[in-house]
This record gives sequence, C-alpha cells and structure tokens, in this order.
Amino acid sequence: MGMRYRQYLAGTRVYGCSTCRTHLATIHSMLSRAFNGQHGRAYLFEGVVNVVEGEPSERQMTTGNHTVRDIFCVKCGTTLGWKYDRAYEPSQKYKEGKFILERNLLVDVQ
Amino acid sequence: MRFPDNTDQDSALSVSLDFEPEAGPSSVALNNDLSAAVSNGNGHAVSNGHGGPLFSNGASSSTNGKLTAAGYASKGSHAISRVSLPGTKLYEDSHVDREEFVRLVIQSLRDVGYIESAATLEAESGYTMESPEVAEFRECILDGSWDSAEVTLSRLGVSDDESLRMARFLISQQKYLELLEASNVNAALHVLRSELAPLNTDVDKLHSLSGLIMCSNAEDLKSRAKWDGAAGVSRRQLLANLQRFIPSSVMIPQRRFASLLQQAYTHQRTQCLYHNAPYDSSAFSLYTDHHCSRDSFPSLTTHILAEHEDEVWNVQWSHCGRYLASASKDKTAIVWHIGVSLHPLRRPKTGPNTRDCIPEKVLRDHPYPVGCLAWSLDDSILLTSSEHIIKMWNPKTGLCVRELDAHTETVTSLVWLPDGSGFLSGSMDRKIILWDVDGKQRDTWGTTVIRVTDLAVTPDFSRLVAVGIHHLPSSANNSAVTLQDGGTPPTGAATQASTERRRDVENRLIIYDLATKQQEVSIRLEGELTSVKISQDSRYALVNHAPDEVQLWDLDSARMARRFTGQRQGKHVIRSCFGGVDGNFIVSGSEDGNVYVWHRDTGALLEALPGHGEGSVNSAAWNPKDERMFASCSDDCTIRIWEIPPPEMMEAVGSPMAEQNGKGKGRSRDGWDGTG
Repeated sequence: MGMRYRQYLAGTRVYGCSTCRTHLATIHSMLSRAFNGQHGRAYLFEGVVNVVEGEPSERQMTTGNHTVRDIFCVKCGTTLGWKYDRAYEPSQKYKEGKFILERNLLVDVQ
Repeated sequence: MRFPDNTDQDSALSVSLDFEPEAGPSSVALNNDLSAAVSNGNGHAVSNGHGGPLFSNGASSSTNGKLTAAGYASKGSHAISRVSLPGTKLYEDSHVDREEFVRLVIQSLRDVGYIESAATLEAESGYTMESPEVAEFRECILDGSWDSAEVTLSRLGVSDDESLRMARFLISQQKYLELLEASNVNAALHVLRSELAPLNTDVDKLHSLSGLIMCSNAEDLKSRAKWDGAAGVSRRQLLANLQRFIPSSVMIPQRRFASLLQQAYTHQRTQCLYHNAPYDSSAFSLYTDHHCSRDSFPSLTTHILAEHEDEVWNVQWSHCGRYLASASKDKTAIVWHIGVSLHPLRRPKTGPNTRDCIPEKVLRDHPYPVGCLAWSLDDSILLTSSEHIIKMWNPKTGLCVRELDAHTETVTSLVWLPDGSGFLSGSMDRKIILWDVDGKQRDTWGTTVIRVTDLAVTPDFSRLVAVGIHHLPSSANNSAVTLQDGGTPPTGAATQASTERRRDVENRLIIYDLATKQQEVSIRLEGELTSVKISQDSRYALVNHAPDEVQLWDLDSARMARRFTGQRQGKHVIRSCFGGVDGNFIVSGSEDGNVYVWHRDTGALLEALPGHGEGSVNSAAWNPKDERMFASCSDDCTIRIWEIPPPEMMEAVGSPMAEQNGKGKGRSRDGWDGTG
C-alpha cells in the first residue's frame, strides 16, 4: 500500500536482480554460499531488500521439511529464491527468517 | 511641532492661547455663534468664550504662500480657538502621542484635498503638520528649484555632515539627470564636475553617471538610468529618498497614516488563519478586524474521480486550472477535464457546486506504475515518469510524443523551468538532467551526492533545491565476516543487515545555485525526505520528512522556519503543497488517510479532512486558478476534489465558529460524496 521507492544498498559488493538490476543484498549480509537452488548454486542472506514475499508452502528439501515463501523482485517480478519461514529439523532452525537468492539470477550492481 | 513655538511669527494665536486654561475640558468656537457646538471628544463641550477672529495672517502663511494653517483659517474668516488638552497622549491610557497622531491626520487630510479641515485642525490643536521650511523644501524639489532646495535643506535639522552630503548628492544627481534629459549636456557636465564629483567618493557611481552622457536620447537615458524623467515620478521618488536624511519628526514620511494602516492590514492578514481572500478585496474594512471564516475554506468533497484501477500516487493541475493529471500504480496517467461549475441559478437548490469531471484522456503504455507528472507552462506538453522512463505527451490528443530513456534508476521528479524553456528530471541514479522542450538533453548536474527523491526550482530562477538519500562510504568493512558452509549454523557474526545499512545512510536537503550548478548548502536531516515544493516568493522550501513531519525551510538563511505536525508519514512517498491566496495554506497527504491542512505562518493545524478510504493519501495539489479548490489522491484508487461548502449546507451544519476546533468532522458532507 502506498508509493515507496526501492531501497538502494551500498558497500563493497551489491547484488542485484539480473533482469532489472534492482538492488537486493550486500555481501556483508551473506551467510553462506553453499546452497543449491532450482538453477544451481544459491546464497543464503541475513536480509534482502526490494522483494515481495509469496504465500507460505511446505517444501521437502535435502536438509528436511521447511515452510518457505518464494520471493519476487519488486520491480520486474522475477522469482529470485525463497525465504525460510520455518525449519522442522532443530539443526536447520538457523535458517528461519533468512533468504535464499539463486546465484544465476543475480548480477553485481556495485 | 507646536504651533505657537515661534511666538514672533504667530502673533494673535499664541497670545490668545494664554487665556486658555492649561488643562481640562475645552472646546472650540467657530465664530461666536457656534460656541458649545463642538465637542472635543472627551464628552465635554464648553465654550471658551472667546469671540471674534483670533488669527492674524501670520508670518507662517506668508513666507511661502503654502497651505499652512493660519493662511487657510483666515481665508475662511473663521475664528478657531485652540483646544488645550492635558498631557501629551491621545487618550489617557494610550501610548499614542497626540501630537504625532494629529500631525498624521493633518497630513492625510491635505493629501486627499480637505485643505480647510486640515487648517482648522492645525488651528484647533495647535500642532502644525510641518514647518514652512519643510513645505518650501518639498515645493522646491517638486518644482525642480534645485538651488533653493539646497539652501532650505540646511535648515531642516539634518543631523550630520555625512547625511547632508548624501542628501546634496541625491539632489544634484536629479539635477544632472534632468539636464541630460533636456539635452543640456554642457550644464550637466558642469553639475557632474563641480557638484557630484566633489560630493561623492564612490567612483563606480560617478562612472555610471558620467556614462549616461553617451545616451542617444531621453528614452535611452531613462531606461539606462532606470529613471522616469522630470515629468514622471522621479522628483517624488527623490523626495522619498531624501526622507531618510531628514528627521521624520521634521518632515513626516509621505502618506504615513496609510502605511500604518497597511501594516495593520498585513498583521491582520497573517493572523487570519483561514485567510483565502484576494488582496484587494472588500474583505478588509477599517471598522473591524479582518477575519476570513472557515466557510470559505474548501473542506467539502464535491467530486470523487474513480477511474483508476489501482492506487493513485500523484496529482497535478494544468496551469489553466481546467485539467487535472493523475498518476497511478495501474500504469496509467489520466487527464481529467474539470468543468466550470454551473451558474448559481441553474444549480440544484440544495447541493454543492456541480461540474463535469471527465476522464478525457487515459495515457497508457507505461511499462511500470506512473510516479511523476509535470505540465508545461502553456499546458501543451504533459510529462510522466514510469520508473526510469520519461514520456512526453500531448494532453489534447492523448498521444505520446517522445520517450526519454537517459536515467538508469527511478525518476523521482519532473519540473519545468519557470520560463518554460525546458524541464529538469531528478532520479535515484544520482543524475539531474536539464532537457529542452523537444526532449533533447541540454545539461546535466553530473553525479549528485544524493539519490534524488524530489527536486524543485525557485520561481525567480535562482536556485534548485533537491532532497534525497546520501549513502556514506561503508564504515563496516566486514571482510571479517566468515561465510559458513551450508550445514553449519553461523556463529552470530553476521551483521544485522538492515540496521547496519541504516547507519550508512543519511538524508540531505541540498540547495544549488541554478546558474552555476554549485552547491550552496547541504543540510543533513534525520528522516527520509519525499517531497519538496517552493513558495511563490522563492524564499521557502516545503519538505516532507519522515516520520510525521512537514518542514518549511528558509532558503536564504538555510534554517528551518516552521514544522507542521499531525500528519502520518513513515515509509511511503507522501507529498505536500502550498495552497490558497498567497500560499497561505500547507496541504499534505498522510498515511492515516486524511488530508492535513495548516496555516503557513503560524503552523496551526486547521483541518484533518477525512473521506478517503483505506491506505495513504499520497499527494495534494491546489488549483492554480481557483483558490477555493484543491485535489487529493489516495491508495483508495480515487481522487477527491475539495471545494467550499454551499451556504445552505453551512446553515444546516450550524455556526462555523462552533466547528472551528473540531477537526474535519464528517458531518453532512458525507451526503455529497459520490456526486462525481
């Protein structure tokens, strides 16, 4: 609701949407490079900006069952990855509230 | 100045006064038979018993034949005795000096031509408007008798030599210009050499004066000297300029009473919270303090424009005031024709103004939501922005004329130059671009410090004011952040991305010199800045500041002049505007769905107008041609047109005074909603 400008990030490295270059996350908020998505390698981020979150869904992953939401670029609508709402395995709880962005859908914008 | 001070000049009058009781009630006898007829205003009417003419035609009238008191009083063959009053104040409990007051009254009477009355008042009060020397001096200036003027000047109590020198210079300068105007170059040269040069140490001034000798004719001279000639107002102007060297108690400034009344009007106007009446209106009377009623404030929704399919983010009136452009998240802009309201006689008896509001053109083909709108000065071009794209439209045909693709990030502002010769665009990509009317790039500001969230140009063409976000060089150089492998939980070393980021961002208001593009001032502000507008006098910038504040900045001093609070603004782009006669009102959107209105000069919150539905009111715009109409737009997909309630509605609602403290009641106005 309401008009909002997209957020812009600053830092040594800023990742953006490969379709429209919208700023998404900085390397400072990256937690891990060792994830896999639908298009290959994926990164786990502490926080991302300029994304719209979809409806929650249950998804079975290699590390167990999770409740996740797909995330879309706020400008062009491309599906970029997902957000972990809930991890059922205690060892995976650290992912809750964190974001996955697929490496192939990212581009360095700064 | 007391009339009888010069006892040797005012023979009969001053002598007769000695018989008056020093204090106490007194009155006047206009000739014998009128005794007791005139009250002195204190409620007493006592004849002083004097009979016969008291005046001789004293020296004061004969020196120059001017309209001094004694001269006129005697012509009328009236005998006027002086009224002697106690003290020196106009009223016992007032601070107004009676002599000053009376002298101003005399001056006013003279100015309008009530010469006899002025003379009578001088005689009765014993005060003279001015000494014969002053009258003579004025006459000399107005007649162009420069030599006499200089002689008289020395007798006017000019306090110091420097003032005397400057006064002489002004007189000689007028003399010089008039000689030039009359093509008497030799005499002019003589004045320049023997009078102006010895008096003035300002070499530049002398140079520019001597340069005027080269003027080919009188017209050329007048335009170059910015002077309107002997027959114009230049001599009066000279008199006004000389005023500052002569004590004002000796020579009263011209039309002094009228200037005081003008000040009273100005004061009343700034105190009038709902002021929305044109300057020369009959709304101002000396009999009573000026006050505009809330009835004449456009607090009623008369039309709801519902054509957009998504949130409406911006509205902008055409300069002719007949068209309204709206920008929406639905990727269209609409040009609305706002018709003329029906004649009062043809209007329905019980209803607000009705007019046709037609969505005349829907401007489609925007790839993204539409954010900005800007009408060219002649209303022949409408600019829209959609993300990084700028489109130029012909609002009459609804056809896109040009698409400008020079920005790489969201365009956040589009403003035409005050002369209509081009327009500026500001963007999140840190570029400010100047375009000509054909959409060609004429200039750019280079990379600005801030990502521009809005900008505005002062109507006097002097400044550009931009607001936006400044990203500081990242202080948290977190090369130390260790990237974890997929399976292992991080040890908490990861920074709180969002809070960290916030600290690296600051918001700035930057004032540029428009001609040189140099930054004059850069002011750091706490919250996000989403809108900037400039007052008509080019002095103030109106800025929306999150959270919950609209600020008025004085551009000359680069200080905040006022804050307007009450509205809600957190995360969204909320815009505000000046409104009403002289920009007396401040109007802003708000995230609570109300339209907020403040009095500009006091900051008083006047209205919080409800009506829009769920979501934010994003922007408001005052009609440039109709000071009693404005528009607001909202997330509820509609635009509202606000006008003054019809008189019969005000009666139904009750006394407006009773409503004054109630902020924006829904009242019966709800009944009119939906008439659009």
